[in-house]
Amino acid sequence: MAHRWGMAVDLDRCTGCEACVIACRAENNIPTVGEQQARMGRALHWIRVERYYEGEFPDVKVKFQPVFCQQCDNAPCEPVCPTYASYHNAEGLNAQVYNRCIGTRYCANACPYTVRFFNFFNPVWDRPFHLQLNPDVSVRQVGVMEKCTFCVQRIKAAEIHAHEEKRELKDEVLQPACVQTCAPKALVFGDLNDPESEVSRLQRSRRGSKLLAELGTKPKVTYLQRDQWNEKDA
Amino acid sequence: MERRDFLKVTVLTGATAALGGCEKPVQTLVRFLPEQDLVPGVAEWKPSLCTLCPAGCGLIVRIMPGDAEVLRNGKPGVVQMNLAKKLEGNPAHPINRGKLCARGQAGLQLTYHPDRIRNPLRRSGPRGAGAFEAVTWDEAMNQVVAKLHELQSQNQADGLRFLSGRLRGQRGGLVRTFLRAFGAPPALTFDPLDEPVLRRANALSFGVAKLPSFDLAYARYVISFGADFLGTWNSPVAQAIGYGEMRQGQAGTRGNLVQVEQRMSYTGANADEWIASRPGTEGAFALSLAHVILRDKLRPLSDSDATRLIPGWPSGLLDYAPTTVANLIGVPASRIERVARELASHPPAVVIIGGAPLAHSNGLFNAVAANALNSLLGSVGGRGGIYFSPQLPVGEVTDASENVVSGAQLPAELSAAKLLMLCGANPVFAAPPGWNISQALDKIPFIVSFASFVDETTSLADLILPDHSPLESWLDDIPESGSPTAIVTVAPPVVTPLHDTRAMPDVLLAIAHQVGGTVAKVLPAENFEQMLQSAIAPLQKISPDSALDPDKFWAKVQQQGGWWADGVKARPSAPTREKPLLNSTSPKFEGDAGKFAFFFQPYISQSFLDGALAHLPWMQELPDVLSTAMWGTWVEMNPKAAAALNIEQGDLVEVRSQEGNLRAPVLISPGIAPDLIAMPLGQGHKSLGRYARDRGANPMSLVAPIQVDEVGSLAWAATRVAVSKVGKAQLAMFSGGLFERPSELEQR
Repeated sequence: MAHRWGMAVDLDRCTGCEACVIACRAENNIPTVGEQQARMGRALHWIRVERYYEGEFPDVKVKFQPVFCQQCDNAPCEPVCPTYASYHNAEGLNAQVYNRCIGTRYCANACPYTVRFFNFFNPVWDRPFHLQLNPDVSVRQVGVMEKCTFCVQRIKAAEIHAHEEKRELKDEVLQPACVQTCAPKALVFGDLNDPESEVSRLQRSRRGSKLLAELGTKPKVTYLQRDQWNEKDA
Repeated sequence: MERRDFLKVTVLTGATAALGGCEKPVQTLVRFLPEQDLVPGVAEWKPSLCTLCPAGCGLIVRIMPGDAEVLRNGKPGVVQMNLAKKLEGNPAHPINRGKLCARGQAGLQLTYHPDRIRNPLRRSGPRGAGAFEAVTWDEAMNQVVAKLHELQSQNQADGLRFLSGRLRGQRGGLVRTFLRAFGAPPALTFDPLDEPVLRRANALSFGVAKLPSFDLAYARYVISFGADFLGTWNSPVAQAIGYGEMRQGQAGTRGNLVQVEQRMSYTGANADEWIASRPGTEGAFALSLAHVILRDKLRPLSDSDATRLIPGWPSGLLDYAPTTVANLIGVPASRIERVARELASHPPAVVIIGGAPLAHSNGLFNAVAANALNSLLGSVGGRGGIYFSPQLPVGEVTDASENVVSGAQLPAELSAAKLLMLCGANPVFAAPPGWNISQALDKIPFIVSFASFVDETTSLADLILPDHSPLESWLDDIPESGSPTAIVTVAPPVVTPLHDTRAMPDVLLAIAHQVGGTVAKVLPAENFEQMLQSAIAPLQKISPDSALDPDKFWAKVQQQGGWWADGVKARPSAPTREKPLLNSTSPKFEGDAGKFAFFFQPYISQSFLDGALAHLPWMQELPDVLSTAMWGTWVEMNPKAAAALNIEQGDLVEVRSQEGNLRAPVLISPGIAPDLIAMPLGQGHKSLGRYARDRGANPMSLVAPIQVDEVGSLAWAATRVAVSKVGKAQLAMFSGGLFERPSELEQR
């Protein structure tokens, strides 16, 4: 049976530490743009941690929420692309073919989650930083859109190894970079077609919901809301 | 590709071409190489150790071969070598169990940093001007050895000083042995992240002069006084793993986190209940909670070393009744009563204290009070409580508590130096201006640095003997906290050195051999690897591998990234029976409250710690999680306090203390007390490479040299400041304002 990769984000476990953000940068050859470009909103973060303040001092509450490509089943970014650069692959991922992309940025306009990023310049790695680049991931050039791929290079490598060894791919051996480094285990990745997988179990949680579900984008990422401490609970 | 697949591809393409004219074109794009025939890159994973903070997490490093441009014997060329591509947590390591924090992930950039020192350097201009010329290793070593011989012949061997950050494992032992044999005083340690107050308090309360570990996974009620234990404090990855389990690890129960502080830390942002108290009153708060528990007999009466330290404990801490101390603490009495009742009725409960509460003149009192509360709650050594990790005495390892010169003795010690060896400490940047570190260093005739980057202190050196990066070095560590397992982390180099650098321990051994005499005799090891192997060897006797060939045992240790064993008991230090003066409940501050209206709290940066990581562009472009600011520093202010001074978001403000002043953009933040100004440490470098230099401001330049009573370490939260608006500023933010969702429009 084909895989259908999905994620669950347990906001009760997430501490907002941003280890996922750097792990993603290291894995996916995401360049830094420097202070001036960052100030213009051109920093590239395939995953970000959003935080929301509520209330006034001293009764302040903060909520963290990691946001990345929701890999929608009904993705608004796909039909708007004139060159089929953003397309739906066989496993349901919203893939981006960099050498088809001509940089219309329609997809970024269409995406309600603002998780697509545009390369305003050719990326620069001051030498010898380039020695760290991951050879499994292509470096994007100027004029190209990019976004979270669920670390498709890791998915493909795992699938190819499983095929070589003539066994079925189980999701527990496969993790995107953000999930692998997440200390409180807030991020969980797996196969939604396997009802026994951890991610499927979490998607059925009473705390679960989708981001902007009302738009009908059918995201493959479920957010589990923060729990309340109940004095009698414990 | 198999023949059949090739044919399939050909047929499909042919069909598309044939149909082209008359029918709807086939829209499936054909892949010419079937997916399963792609060959993914082959990577190797090798264990290593994260050296960026004292936690000592285990790493695994993804290694792949690649072409590197290098200089060898002065000639450029391309060499195929193993390159480090990605760091992950070592899944077998008991501290971080496969996980890593943001800083750990970025540690990779240390090795491939363009501003790394690539070869030995000698100062070629006036000291501090930053002019250096390249020298060979032979020239550099000869010069150091000649200087050491000179000290010996002039009977000034005690003029040698070694100043370092916290030296891990056998590095500490090597330096100690070297100095002792040479006739020099023990090494000086300067580590702004250290918590000497807590070690001292734990020695007094529990007879263990170590940082504590916490069994957060099973805690049902956690009250943390100022400790940013999820972000930067103690063993953050281990604590974050425990936190995740505390929240959702057990069905039907969820632990509660209460954070008490004046500025909402990143840990405070995760708390279920955030309580803003007055600075330096955390000890009084803890004792007030204890008073309620004792008064209402909510827990059995506890009599231990920890409680015996507290004056008035046997009579029920009458001075700390909530109604009496509510004003001092700044928290309503009813709230203190409620928290005390919840704390007592939800075992296992645990109290954590760290950071700013310990950085006041009464820091020791605050820590001892929190320890006594833990003792009353019965959470010392139990499930869901506080405990001490066993540390095996391996080799010549120094105890963390042994030789920390954390206080104002540092300048005096430095001014006695004739020759200073510098390794991993940057006091010119991170010490308060009142210590006059630069002036003290200026008087030292000769300074040798083992740094990898020219930071503010190393820029004053006469000679630089650049160290390997951690991934190029033999590493070892005996973590102080974070796990109930006894751990000795050992890691061989994972990549070949990129530049003409040498590992500090190997250089020190070579210097010892060339100096000769006793120094050479006590350090016979040819290199650091040999030292490590012989230090680790005794562990084989107490491990299940005792029957193994010793070389095989050594290979196994390297392969798994260290040695760990459960069931090893923590060795208590000699019990301390001293009675320090602990009657000060209110802290002292420098600066007249009339002239300097605000308390000042510098805090350890989530991205840069004390500033040692400000040269990593990945960390510079990481949005600070609470402010989303990148590439800069800011001054945090309460909205009402700012409005009263006519200051708004986007303004440039000047912050003044009696020690100095600085300018930075203001950040209006709801999570800070109206009478407090907070700033992250880490920026404001005058050196440390292209990404850090001349960026932001250094809050340490405002900090007064006040000491923690009875300990002597720096009370870095005891300064008062004044603030005024001086103009407009720009701060790069990833999101818009504090209450909005980031949108494309606002980012422009």
